[in-house]
Amino acid sequence: MYEAVSAYPDGSSTVSRHARTAARYGYDGLIVRTRNADYDADAIAETYGIDVVSGIEIDADTPQQAAGSIGNFRPRCTVLMACGGSDELNRYCVETDRIDVLSRPMAAGGDINHVLARAAKTNRVFIEFDFGPVLREHGGNRVKAIRKLRKLRELVEYYDTPFVVSANANSHFGLRAPRELCALGEQLGFSADQIRAGLRAWSEIVARNRQRAAETYVEPGVRFGRVDDAENTQNESNEHNAGPGQ
Amino acid sequence: MKHLPKHIRPRWRYLAVGIESLPEATISRGDFQRALWYAAGNLLGDVKSADCDLTVYGFSFDNGTGETLIRVRRGETEPARAALACVDRIDDAPVGLVVRGISGTVRACEERYLGRQTGLFEQRHVDFAAARRPAICRDDVAEISLSSGSVSATELDFE
Repeated sequence: MYEAVSAYPDGSSTVSRHARTAARYGYDGLIVRTRNADYDADAIAETYGIDVVSGIEIDADTPQQAAGSIGNFRPRCTVLMACGGSDELNRYCVETDRIDVLSRPMAAGGDINHVLARAAKTNRVFIEFDFGPVLREHGGNRVKAIRKLRKLRELVEYYDTPFVVSANANSHFGLRAPRELCALGEQLGFSADQIRAGLRAWSEIVARNRQRAAETYVEPGVRFGRVDDAENTQNESNEHNAGPGQ
Repeated sequence: MKHLPKHIRPRWRYLAVGIESLPEATISRGDFQRALWYAAGNLLGDVKSADCDLTVYGFSFDNGTGETLIRVRRGETEPARAALACVDRIDDAPVGLVVRGISGTVRACEERYLGRQTGLFEQRHVDFAAARRPAICRDDVAEISLSSGSVSATELDFE
């Protein structure tokens, strides 16, 4: 199970501090949302035994801005996320298969409907269930966040849209262990299996993109090399850390 | 009052919880209990939070880390976990909480999950973000002071 976090300078904890806490909480990997975070993934992996994955979260105001950012950042990271916002931006994100995850789709007045849920499934864009406001907001804001999560859950369940789950922490104090997130999800109407699937989905995205970034990758289902070596090649590509280069 | 016969006494589970916060935070048992009951009341409602009980039994917090033992009614441990996850600040200090384990007796819980001592914090200066900065360090972690606030880091960030 993986978790995605915002690290220093966007958050108040460095990547290694997040990784230390996440490893103690039982996560297998950590995806860094922050583009300009400074860290040594190999050293962290060696010290704390956790897979640290480079990610970038695009925070654009319009689809045009988002399109420019995708071109710039897609080759530079393993997981590309786009922060949702307006309805137009959400629509653009779920129709762009170069984006891996549409994060915080219901924040800042954004919304998801049946058209977007279907488009996300078609383009394999994962929609994020953001538990951050449930964990850290209070009063009316939290009620609104829970209401939006329920709407999103019903659409995702009906249209079988791919999804990820995150506590969206920007400090290591904001991280919560998988079992705590499962317990919280059950109170919100999710099943524990759904939450676990949402946390595991991050690792599926990472594995897929690392495979695509491997030199032997040609297209889905086609790989360059001897058939005998196929299994070894796949193992090597899973360990590869470079960007996806779609 | 005479205590209840054994077969009719409520059955309890004890949650061992690890607490992490900033080095300057001072959290007492009462503060923690109040935050936990507020979190449970807000998330679960009065009825469910009364079912959970969530009484803080043992509590220790010093130098930014601590641990506590929370009593929960048997069969209500998952709602209790959820309520515990929603405690994010206590008296303006951010807190990270994790359930280390659950036991059926206080003694088993203490023996198995509690009593993990950590080192003390010490003041020193570290190289971080292209400057020498004051930091409060303990074991392999540090809270570094910047002009914009403090940053939580580990020794990998400044060595």
